[in-house]
Amino acid sequence: MDKKTTPKKTKNKKDKKKVDTKKSLKTTKKIAKKEKKQIKKKEYKKEVKEIKKQTKKTTLKKAKEEKVKKKGKIEKKKEEEKEEEETKIMVPPPAKKDEPEEYKKLRTEIKKILDDRFLPGSVIDEIIIKVLNEKALEKKLKIIIDRAFEHYYKNIIDPAEACGIVGAQSIGEPGTQMTMRTFHYAGVAEINVTLGLPRLIEIVDARSIPSTPMMNIYLREAYRINSDLAKKVANQIEITKLNSIADIETDLTNLTIKIKTNKTTLDNKNISIDEIVDSIKKIRGIDVKVEKDSIKVVLDEPSYKKLLDINETLKDLKVKGIDGIKRIFIRKEPNEGYVIYSEGSNLEKVLEIIGVDPYRTTTNDIQAVSRVLGIEAARNMIIEEAYNTLSEQGLNVDRRHIMLVADVMTTDGIIRAIGRHGVSKEKESVLSRAAFEITVSHLLQAARRGEIDKLGGVAENIIVGQPVNLGTGAVELVMKKGKKK
Amino acid sequence: MKYTRFEKARIIGARALQISMGAPTLLKIPKGMIAPIDIAMLEFKEDAIPITVKRVEGN
Repeated sequence: MDKKTTPKKTKNKKDKKKVDTKKSLKTTKKIAKKEKKQIKKKEYKKEVKEIKKQTKKTTLKKAKEEKVKKKGKIEKKKEEEKEEEETKIMVPPPAKKDEPEEYKKLRTEIKKILDDRFLPGSVIDEIIIKVLNEKALEKKLKIIIDRAFEHYYKNIIDPAEACGIVGAQSIGEPGTQMTMRTFHYAGVAEINVTLGLPRLIEIVDARSIPSTPMMNIYLREAYRINSDLAKKVANQIEITKLNSIADIETDLTNLTIKIKTNKTTLDNKNISIDEIVDSIKKIRGIDVKVEKDSIKVVLDEPSYKKLLDINETLKDLKVKGIDGIKRIFIRKEPNEGYVIYSEGSNLEKVLEIIGVDPYRTTTNDIQAVSRVLGIEAARNMIIEEAYNTLSEQGLNVDRRHIMLVADVMTTDGIIRAIGRHGVSKEKESVLSRAAFEITVSHLLQAARRGEIDKLGGVAENIIVGQPVNLGTGAVELVMKKGKKK
Repeated sequence: MKYTRFEKARIIGARALQISMGAPTLLKIPKGMIAPIDIAMLEFKEDAIPITVKRVEGN
């Protein structure tokens, strides 16, 4: 650290010292954080090992003792090494499934036929699957590709098409048919989720927090198969208040509070008494003493009112878990293993927990997705959520209309709401803004600032009385040169 | 060059306006074909209209 700061000798000594101390403070904090993480990792490693060992032991007993002991030792060592590798790489990216050779071959062949022409990947994939299923088609590959190309370009949208209006109508019309039955219980788990029209409005309005935040937390390889490990992850996520794991008794004669813990519930939740004590110690003006299974809280200055105050805060004290996550359900899904569903959402913190698969864990809090994973992820979330809420109601809206909405909302790098507070407010054109709301004030402000309207949009051109720059109106005619008949 | 449906409509419309205002036709028009739009469409089909479009690169 010192080496870095020494080259800057031009500054005053005092300043330098300040910088030094600040920097060192930061670094120490960082180091402390790192150490904590490492400790966490180590704890997890131990747990994984223990559970594996236990299962090993039971299997070992069945076999002959001596031979197995030797073998077991070797295997254990191997497994320990493996585990170490696993934890070293914090979160390995999901393994890409390699395409079978046939697919690759066909793909290169199609590329050759296509040459410079473009076909979307999904169309090519479909062709590959069809052709591989019916061997007779392989000879006609060139014809198939040519036909596909022809059809694709016949159906591709024309330039100057009013795609936004078509999209708005295509989402709006089915939207009128949405039922008022807006609440629904997702799956078997009793999580209440806003759906239907309110949810759609929520997505389009880009609310900062959804009315019913929810997460699907997927787990990594080892954790999703083992129910104990899955439970441990769940315990780390679910918020645990002191009130729910211990009895809090106020002793009015001695002005003390006694917290009686129950060992079985503590073991269930995997909380040690030390952890509770640590979190209690954060309250000011009290002294904590541990007595076997109970904790005694003594006030620094005896006061009846303060005792009651502290009693209240103790009841609501967070011992473990992540803020914002209220309830948790663990379910075993076919082909997946254990998945955690949570009511409440906190993507930032949940992704930090070891055992959570950050590549698949989702939340319905789009703003959080944009914050943590970036605007592209948020765009995908908007598309996915809007599409799912619509199709859940039995309305089939083409994905591309929704993609357009998502694009409009996210082109600026932040999520903008459709309507008054977002897109409409930030329009470049004065006339377009004036046409939307508070006409006079918009025009007045624009005049004061000397704004220029380029008359690019629909509303502006209609106001001025020109053909709109869309469809036929966007075509510019010129004389054909040369060539006379 | 293939025209989009908007371009086609615009070209035929422009030509039909000319014809409706008395412009000489560029082809031999079959007897009984009076409507200027029909004539313009025929001329378009035969690629006789000396009008094209100027395409602008998007944005």
